[in-house]
Amino acid sequence: MARIEEPPRHPYGAAVGNLIERLAKLPGIGRKSAERLANHLLDCSEDEANSLAEAIRRVKTVVRPCSICFNLTEGETCSICSDPRRDKHSVCVVEQPRDLLALEAASIFNGVYHVLGGRLAPLNGVGPEDLNINALVKRVRHGGVTEILMATNPTLEGDGTALYISNLLANDPVKITRLARGIASGSVLEFANREMLADAIRGRQSF
Amino acid sequence: MLRVTDFSETSRIVVVFTREFGKISALAKGGRRLKGPFESSLDLLSTCQIVFLRKHTSGLDLLTEAKLVSRFHPQERDLTCLYAGYYLAELLLSLTEDYDPHPILYTAAQEALTMFGASETKLLGVIRFELVLLRELGQLPDFENCAACGIELTEGRTFGFWVTEGGLICPDCQREDYTQISIHAGTAAALRLLSSESEQAWKRLNLTPGQLKEVKHVTTAAICNVMGKRPKMLKYLEH
Repeated sequence: MARIEEPPRHPYGAAVGNLIERLAKLPGIGRKSAERLANHLLDCSEDEANSLAEAIRRVKTVVRPCSICFNLTEGETCSICSDPRRDKHSVCVVEQPRDLLALEAASIFNGVYHVLGGRLAPLNGVGPEDLNINALVKRVRHGGVTEILMATNPTLEGDGTALYISNLLANDPVKITRLARGIASGSVLEFANREMLADAIRGRQSF
Repeated sequence: MLRVTDFSETSRIVVVFTREFGKISALAKGGRRLKGPFESSLDLLSTCQIVFLRKHTSGLDLLTEAKLVSRFHPQERDLTCLYAGYYLAELLLSLTEDYDPHPILYTAAQEALTMFGASETKLLGVIRFELVLLRELGQLPDFENCAACGIELTEGRTFGFWVTEGGLICPDCQREDYTQISIHAGTAAALRLLSSESEQAWKRLNLTPGQLKEVKHVTTAAICNVMGKRPKMLKYLEH
């Protein structure tokens, strides 16, 4: 008769085993790290562990997409959309909220954003209807937007998404630009590869 | 590069179609970092020189180095060229086996990608690639003789096409269900040229829109038959 094998149990009990299993599913956390985190949670005070659990619960119930730009926010609109000092005529289109954070960290762009929620990847079944592209088109056609800055990732799919949107808005009175690419400042031409140089020459600008 | 999938914080899983080894799947540790042994070369449809370690114990090989040779640049503002590139990747992913090298197919894929980036004849490039792929897989329909009776298909006649019979059908063998679309003798000749081993002869072809439609009908039916389903990218290309 075949023997049915039970899943391995943690020596501390099923509750700890379950916690380790769940922590190990987090990005960048392996089995060992999950065990270390579980041990830390077992060692820390009950208040500390509860506040972590409450923070996770709260973030899942309170945080939602901004009704204008789809950035993450706790209110109806995000802090960037509701900031009166921001230039609402210029909209930077990014794939994910984390891309927005990277651009905000640079503190160089004073406009507002639009988060697509991904990029077009027809091979993986991601089409225009799966992204916030219609909302962007409506936003542009509602008026007030004079420039769309495409800041999708510089990959084939990112460029394809930017191309799809720029074709969609080709007949609208809006200037469509994209992030420059090419040689990094501080580097030397001698060590730049062929693609970097080609990008830099294609995107050259007047002094 | 036929498929690039993010894996963990810094790594990527890639499916690569190589000239010497055929299709391989590999883990590129640190493949998402800007600096390192990959230098942002792991992008869909880019051509790279790679170093990889074949793992006999697990499913994924280990990609240790990739140097970019060229990126795929679809023609300016033309989404169809981009979709044609995606279609090529889909066909190679679906219809080739791991570690089954096809140097002729590799060359045809590179040639097609160059064509999608540079010229107006992208549909002909797609068709040529489809036919080379079918030939390499041993699934090329018969365009020389009637697939039913074997008689040579002569000029000046109209033929039927029946994919499960394996090719064109002469007028004498045609039944009602064979004749969904007529293939004219000129189109049959074009199909022979497009599927020939000569890498240059087909480039001189100048097909009418009607002939292009007939040729595409034949290749689409043959590809769907081999895949057992309709490729995802076809609907994008047809638009």
